[in-house]
Amino acid sequence: MPASTGQCLYVATSLSDAVAALADRGPAGAPLAGATWIMRAPIRREERRSSYVGIGGIAELCAVELTDDEIRIGACVTHARLIAALAGAEGCDGLVAAAGGAANPAVRQMATVGGNLCASDFPASDLSPALLCLDASVELRTPGGRERMPVGRLLDVRCTLEPGTLVTGVVIARKSLRTGHARLPLRKAGDYPVAIVSMAAALGSDGLVEDIKVAVGSVEASARRWPQLEEQLLGRPLDPARAHELAKAGAGVFAGRESVEAPGWYRVQVLPTLVRRAAQAALAG
Amino acid sequence: MATADPSGVVMNLPRRDARDKLLGRTRYTVDRMPPRMLHAAVLRSEVASARIIRIDTTRARQMPGVRAIALAEDAPGMHGIGIADHPLFASGVIRFHGEQIAAVAADTYEQAQAAARAIEVELEPLPPVLTMADALAPGAPLVHPDWKSYEILFEGGARGGNVAWEATVIRGDTDTAFARDDVVIVESCFRVGRQNHVSLEARAVIATYEDGRYHIETSTQVPWTVRNMTAKLLGVPASQVHVTVPPVGGAFGQKFDCTLEPYAAILARKSGQPVRLVYSRQEEMLTCLCRENADIKIRSAVTEKGEIVGREAVVLMDCGAYGGEQIFLTTMTAHTLGGNYKLGSIKLATRAIYTNTPPNGAFRACNGVYNTFALERHTDEICEAIGMDPLEFKRRNVLGDGDLGATGQVFEGDVLGSMLDRMERLREKSPSKKHLAGDRLYGRATVVGTWFIFVGPSTATINLNADGSATLITAGVELGQGTMVQALPQIVAHELGIHPDDIIVRNADTDAAGFDLGVGGGRTTVSVGAASVAAAADVRNKILNIASELLQTRPERLVLRNGRVEIAGIEGSGTTIAKVVQRAHQVTGPVVGSGSFTNPGVPAMPGCAAGHFIDAIDIPVFNVHDCEVAVDPETGHVEILSYKVVQDVGRALNPRAIHGQIQGGVTQGLGYALHEEHTIGEDGCIRQDSLETYRVPLALDTVPVEIDLYEGAPSIGPLGAKGAGEVPIMNPPAAVACAVARATGCRVQQTPLTPPRVLAHLLGREPAVELPHIADNWWDNVLTKPKTQ
Amino acid sequence: MPTNLVINGEDRISSRGSMTPLIDVLRDEFFLTGAKVACREGICGACTVHLDGRPVVSCLVPLGTVEGRDVRTVESLAVAGEPSPLQLIMEEHDVVQCGMCFPGILMVLTSFFQERPHAERDEIKAALVGNICRCTGYERLVDAAVALARRS
Repeated sequence: MPASTGQCLYVATSLSDAVAALADRGPAGAPLAGATWIMRAPIRREERRSSYVGIGGIAELCAVELTDDEIRIGACVTHARLIAALAGAEGCDGLVAAAGGAANPAVRQMATVGGNLCASDFPASDLSPALLCLDASVELRTPGGRERMPVGRLLDVRCTLEPGTLVTGVVIARKSLRTGHARLPLRKAGDYPVAIVSMAAALGSDGLVEDIKVAVGSVEASARRWPQLEEQLLGRPLDPARAHELAKAGAGVFAGRESVEAPGWYRVQVLPTLVRRAAQAALAG
Repeated sequence: MATADPSGVVMNLPRRDARDKLLGRTRYTVDRMPPRMLHAAVLRSEVASARIIRIDTTRARQMPGVRAIALAEDAPGMHGIGIADHPLFASGVIRFHGEQIAAVAADTYEQAQAAARAIEVELEPLPPVLTMADALAPGAPLVHPDWKSYEILFEGGARGGNVAWEATVIRGDTDTAFARDDVVIVESCFRVGRQNHVSLEARAVIATYEDGRYHIETSTQVPWTVRNMTAKLLGVPASQVHVTVPPVGGAFGQKFDCTLEPYAAILARKSGQPVRLVYSRQEEMLTCLCRENADIKIRSAVTEKGEIVGREAVVLMDCGAYGGEQIFLTTMTAHTLGGNYKLGSIKLATRAIYTNTPPNGAFRACNGVYNTFALERHTDEICEAIGMDPLEFKRRNVLGDGDLGATGQVFEGDVLGSMLDRMERLREKSPSKKHLAGDRLYGRATVVGTWFIFVGPSTATINLNADGSATLITAGVELGQGTMVQALPQIVAHELGIHPDDIIVRNADTDAAGFDLGVGGGRTTVSVGAASVAAAADVRNKILNIASELLQTRPERLVLRNGRVEIAGIEGSGTTIAKVVQRAHQVTGPVVGSGSFTNPGVPAMPGCAAGHFIDAIDIPVFNVHDCEVAVDPETGHVEILSYKVVQDVGRALNPRAIHGQIQGGVTQGLGYALHEEHTIGEDGCIRQDSLETYRVPLALDTVPVEIDLYEGAPSIGPLGAKGAGEVPIMNPPAAVACAVARATGCRVQQTPLTPPRVLAHLLGREPAVELPHIADNWWDNVLTKPKTQ
Repeated sequence: MPTNLVINGEDRISSRGSMTPLIDVLRDEFFLTGAKVACREGICGACTVHLDGRPVVSCLVPLGTVEGRDVRTVESLAVAGEPSPLQLIMEEHDVVQCGMCFPGILMVLTSFFQERPHAERDEIKAALVGNICRCTGYERLVDAAVALARRS
């Protein structure tokens, strides 16, 4: 069904232009970057907004900046660009794997980091758990000014953001981390994963886990961290087999979502395996 | 592989349509836009069962751009196969979620959609029956309360209530067989879901109404069915309908019926403008005429030596809200589930059941695919029960020369047995991929299958042109299968002694070509091919007669070769075919030949089969498939490690093209075995409404299929050929299910084997399929009554 | 507001609404029917075109976002009617069946080979994960692509 063409798109020329245009439109408007989610609204039988503000061409939202201390990713950086910019960067293997496995090559050329984080009805987002375990922060422009919040907080409040709010970028503090991202699509060739485990670990010189973050995506409506497992993994070597056992014992903290793709129990059942695979990937990286 | 040699019929003739398809220049139906074209949209029901109280189009008619609205009153006729139970629009009642209520033509598609949404429909909801178990329950609401009043188009099927059609086979005495004290009785239950064709070109049509006739340009496999059904539904003479078919972008059986053409036809007549109707992918997902879901119970009485002395089976096919193709397909259980093996006695019942769900249809090898899955899994369960190796069991029991099929037809040739030998050699030649399984569970299975060529009427006309080329006119359609651009020109060229490139193949046009049953059932090479051979023979005789006079030689001494008529054995003695045709223009007129073909009819045993459209199969086609799988015990993912096919092709006219069909057909079958399934929600709507949730195989899901073409089995097809495109999809679900069952030790009763289902098996949490709505006593399942002795 | 864009090297102006999918503009307004509409959800890949040299699914590209940008469709692959090496090798291998998916597959592979001219089989298959072909079972078209990679 061809999309209805009644809606209007205003292509913003700068960040301030975009912020002003969004403020103008209020609740009727929304930002549009890669468009891959919004263009599919008719298929989800959702009404589109009457007005969109195109932000995908704003240069400062499309940049990836790497400094010694942090990585700053503009909200309109596409998956493909993220992979190109971060390939080989220390601590980024998990994030690169997340971006590289998502959707398909053409969609990865279009879909953006900001869009992936803001699509509240998209539980299978790969970037959300990858950024959660990197302890990333999100920068926003609001009608009141600038704001910064942890990515987990954004996932909680993204449905209730004030109209005119724009996610402008993601900031990751650079640390010496080993990261891994394990996703489980139903087809060998890949599709949206039914469960995701992303892991970022800081290992001491003795090989013991000094700090670790584990995030689970697609199992519940929104990605979230797995603090109980993180706790249990601290202070010991990162052993994928042990992580698997601990995850098996503790996976009950997740309530798998039922959907046409997979039953809830399945999403939870495969978590220990994904924990092991994520740990293996982290150690291999 | 043979290179193109104009003198021989067997060659890897390249496709003449490939270049433009690769350049993006081919114009499929969806690419055509005549001037002044309107766009149509269909209003569909969003409930599964209801009484229609009122339809009001007043507001819709006033919407911008609206040119015409079509409603039930515009299509008074009913259509169907076997029974005319299907109106074009829901008439009085809604019978499924997605049923057509009205169609609108407007200047743009958006306007047509908006106007369709503006049609006011008042409904009184009725309780739906959504499963076959519900439909067969005592006191179930009837999907067609007026079923008795419907016109019968084919006599013989038992009908009643929600049983749209029942076909039975009774041969020999199963009661005695099951009562023997030297047999083991094995009973198995199976359930399968629906499969969607996902043709990349959705169903699409452009209709115009000119000079009192409808011209329908459509993406179909069956131009003559579209012509006749459209006329029947609209209540006009069939001669007023003209159907042409542009290149078709995939069909796989989906387009083996008349579906959306009449809507566009009505709207074109009412508006006086060309009207285009193209279904959206969502409409395709929700209403596509799927391979039906089915419930199957099989019982066999088998001796310790593996002799099958008795078999009883009941197959329930969900035809959805209307009978459609399933009515015909009840026939095919006898030849598939009742095929492959020698049976001492048999009782089969196949019932098409009405439910308030979207109607199903034909899909490449139809119920043969799941019947073969059920039969081969059942065979493995038998082998387990009697402790016999399944391959040994198959060798002892596959149908051979002189053996009786289920309906008592006598099979010719030891085909399946030799094909098993060929598979053994193929397996020896190519080392096992077991090492690739690593820590995963490994399984392997070799399975057999029986399918058929759907013969029946075809006709062909050939004009031999004065430039030495020939124009072949048939109602055949190029769907992508290649027959129209490879096998047919090869066959005709061979008969006429010219190069296949000099055969012009006319696209299907019901005003130009005579009646044809359509492209499907592997019949094009055989039926259209045989008609073409007959037409070519007619042409050949005419040229030889003229040439005989020109060359002063008896016609029997002449041969046609390389575009020339030569005196046998004397190269260069004759003249060009073009010159002979030019001569004919002066003495007899232009050279034209025609030919026809229909089903020759193979006898069954009298009295065995009731309600069958085909009692015995004219051309059986056999398959042997072998598959290795690895199963991940932690996630339930099944990986295909290797796949091998030995396929009975009669004679391979274009081996490379057949290999392409096998790779593609096996892949579709693997999709059905592993990922593809439509299920029905509580509201009666199909739950997988997009390609995100309905998962077809992608490039990384396939493996290269190792292929051995088995030639020489008996066939009445032209030059001994059989259709090769339909049958490759038959066995993958059987092969994969048997291999997974062996790998996991689990009783696989259902496909697709999705990771959640396989993991549930391994965890012991997959519920057994029990089918309480199929009674243990076979007679309790049928409307047919036992003949009193 | 009309949108200016460059399609296959020619300046074009579209008057369609800014949220109109690019595929509809290409097909319905400029009659470039090579790219196909088959799913409108970015999964089948039949509508793939190059936008500023990168493959995108044109069913999900709003017209308004392509102002001033360079669009290439399958119709641009052949130069002066001469098929590209990729098109030729697909033809040589008798890969095509119904043909609906090929415009998208060709656009994806053309761009993929620019970056990875010597790619291996599995990389080629992974690059095609966004292209559904329902006829061929993929292997032969991958064979053809591998043959091209070896030849280059």
